[in-house]
Formats: sequence, structure tokens, C-alpha cells
Amino acid sequence: MTLPNLNKDQIQKLALSAMGFVILLYVYFSFFLGPLNRSRNAMKDKINDLQNKLNSSKDETTKTAHLEQQAKAATTRFAALKALNPEGAPIAWFPPRIKVFFANQQIDKAVAKLEGNTAFKQAELSEWMKYNWSIDLPQADFDLLGKALADLENSEPLLAIAKIKIQALPDQPQAQQIVLNAATIIPKQ
Amino acid sequence: MALHLNLLHEEISEQRQRQRDPLKIGMMVVAGIGALLFLYYGWNAYRTLAIRSRLSAVESDWAKVEPKVTAAQKRAAELTNIISTTRVLDVLIDDRFYWAPFLQKLSRCVAPNAQITHMEGSVSDDNKAVMVTIEGVSAGREPRSAAEDLRQMLIEQLGQSYSDVKVEFKTLEDLDTIVNVGGTTMAMARYVLSVNFSPRLGGKPANSSAATPARSPK
Repeated sequence: MTLPNLNKDQIQKLALSAMGFVILLYVYFSFFLGPLNRSRNAMKDKINDLQNKLNSSKDETTKTAHLEQQAKAATTRFAALKALNPEGAPIAWFPPRIKVFFANQQIDKAVAKLEGNTAFKQAELSEWMKYNWSIDLPQADFDLLGKALADLENSEPLLAIAKIKIQALPDQPQAQQIVLNAATIIPKQ
Repeated sequence: MALHLNLLHEEISEQRQRQRDPLKIGMMVVAGIGALLFLYYGWNAYRTLAIRSRLSAVESDWAKVEPKVTAAQKRAAELTNIISTTRVLDVLIDDRFYWAPFLQKLSRCVAPNAQITHMEGSVSDDNKAVMVTIEGVSAGREPRSAAEDLRQMLIEQLGQSYSDVKVEFKTLEDLDTIVNVGGTTMAMARYVLSVNFSPRLGGKPANSSAATPARSPK
């Protein structure tokens, strides 16, 4: 094949056309086809994502229903433990409760003082606080104290006695002075 | 042989020249490619529109389901939290040291000729060790042996419920005081006992009847 003889004007036109063609291709792929493909791919990804979510949503609801069944005992127990503590600041209700408790056990003049409160290290107990109390029983019979402590430990599962100090009263050998250091687990207000 | 004369040679040559104009051919090729590209773009645009409509359908489905799924996820998280919190609380409750049974055992160990005047006990933070200091006096012909009886009784009684029981005298000294017990004068000794033990794992909580002390310190 022989190239036709082209004059200078024709060569210039041809070169210009070739450049125009290249520019056209660039514009086509960069500004028309490229964005279209990108948007289509993005939509495809979004569809896949939503489809996966839709598929997993069925599992999720089924799993929650199963969990609800399994957690029945735990939720009941959790509610019962929470119900042990009334609403309001513990300093407002704990000392009177202790006073009444020991009064019912025939131990009068019980005084509970708040010594401080701390947060738990366990992440599971982030909604709970540990309150440290000092409970003074100025005068109690040892029998009554034993019964009262047993009742207290059984009726207050969230209370733990960390320290106990029993001192015989010099003038009344049958009576003792008792100091209890107890910690209670109370939900954060 | 017939003679052919081309009298329009120049015109024909010019016409051929025009038809073979590379610029014109190039323009035609470009127009053809342009048409193909346009068609290809149209096909892609059609596919995109189809995908967009599919996306709208899926989004609409998801919008219907999403509130339920979000609620289910929230509830599942809440339940998981409740289960784990209850588990940790149960461990704390079960690991508590119950003082009432200990006091019951202590009261059983105190003989009529012994008296406890002071007792101080504490539990370690991990509930794995209990330390108790007991101060008191004992009376008898051999007041030191009365105190030793108390120590032996404590080892025996506490050993039934707890592990690693150690009961040691920190102090045991004779007193000059003489007391009258049941009409008999007796010598006295003062003692300080150090009691250490580990609460047994899985121990049952104290109950009121079991925790009732048999005898109070005198």
C-alpha cells in the first residue's frame, strides 16, 4: 500500500484530527464512561452490602429470640438483684435500712456510715458501684449478733462483710461492741 | 483495437483526489468510532439505570427491616450485658465469706473457763484468705493448757469447713489475777491467737439456724 502524496496543509489537518481524536477519547473515558462505571460499581457494592445485611438480619432476629429464651433466668435474677436497692442516693436509704434491720433483730442503735465508694474494675460492672460502709453496733449479745449476721448475709446478697471487730464491754461481759466494715454493690444512680 | 481518449482526465483525477482525501477518510473513521462509543455509553447507562432501580428496591426492603434489626441488635446487646453482669455478680455473691458460720464455730470452741475479750477479722480483697486475731483470757489450774485447748478446738472446728487452717499463739502469758470459777479459785492466762485460713470454694452460704451460736463468749 502506498501512502497518497499529502501536502503540508493536509498533514496539518491530519495531525490536528489525530490530536482531537485523542482528546475526545480522554474526555469520553474520564468524564463520561469512568464516572458512570464508578457509580455503577458503588451501587453494586451498596447492593451487596444491603443484601448481606438483609440476609444477616434474619439470623439476627432469630438469634435475639433464642437469646431472649436463654436469658430468661438471668434477666429475672438481674431484675431481682436490682430491685434489692431502692431508687435514690444510697446514703439516704442504706443507714435507715440497716438500723431497722438490726432493730428487728433486737440490736438497737445500729449506725451505718458511708466510708466511700469505688467503681469496679470489671467492664461488666461498669453500671454498678461498690459502697463501703462502717456499721457500728454499740451493744449486742453474741447470740443475737450471730443470728443477725446470718440473716443479713442471706437477705442481702449484694452485701459482703470485709472486716469484723468484736470487743467485749468491760462493764457488761455479756454484751459486745461490734464494728462491721461492709461493702455493698449498688447500681449507679 | 478501439482508441479511447480521456478528454476529462483532469476532472476525473481531481474527483479521485477528493475521494481519497485522508482528512475526509479520517473524519469518517472518527465518526464511526464516535458512534460505537456512544452506543457503548448508552449500553452502560442502561445497565447503570437497571442497577439503580435494583438498589432502590433493596434499599426499600432494608428500610422496612432496619428498625426491627436495630431493635433486635440493641436487645441482644442488652441481654448479653445482663447475662454477663449477672454472671459476675453471682461470682461475687458466691465468693463472699460468710461470717455467721465462723462465729458459730468460734462460740463452740470457747469453754466455760475461757473468755474472748476481743476479736478482729478481715477477708482479703480476693476472698481467698481470712485473718482473725482473737484475744482473751483463760482460767484453770493450768490456764495455759486451757488456752491450748481453745487453740486445738479452733483447729478442729475450723478445719471441718475451711482449708489451710493455721491457729497460732501470738502471745500467751500468765496473769497475777486469781479468779473464782464455780467456787474454785483458779489462775489466769492471757492469750492472743492468730487464725488464718482459706474459705473453701463452693461453700454454702450461712443460714440463720446454722449460724446460731451455741454459746456466747463470756
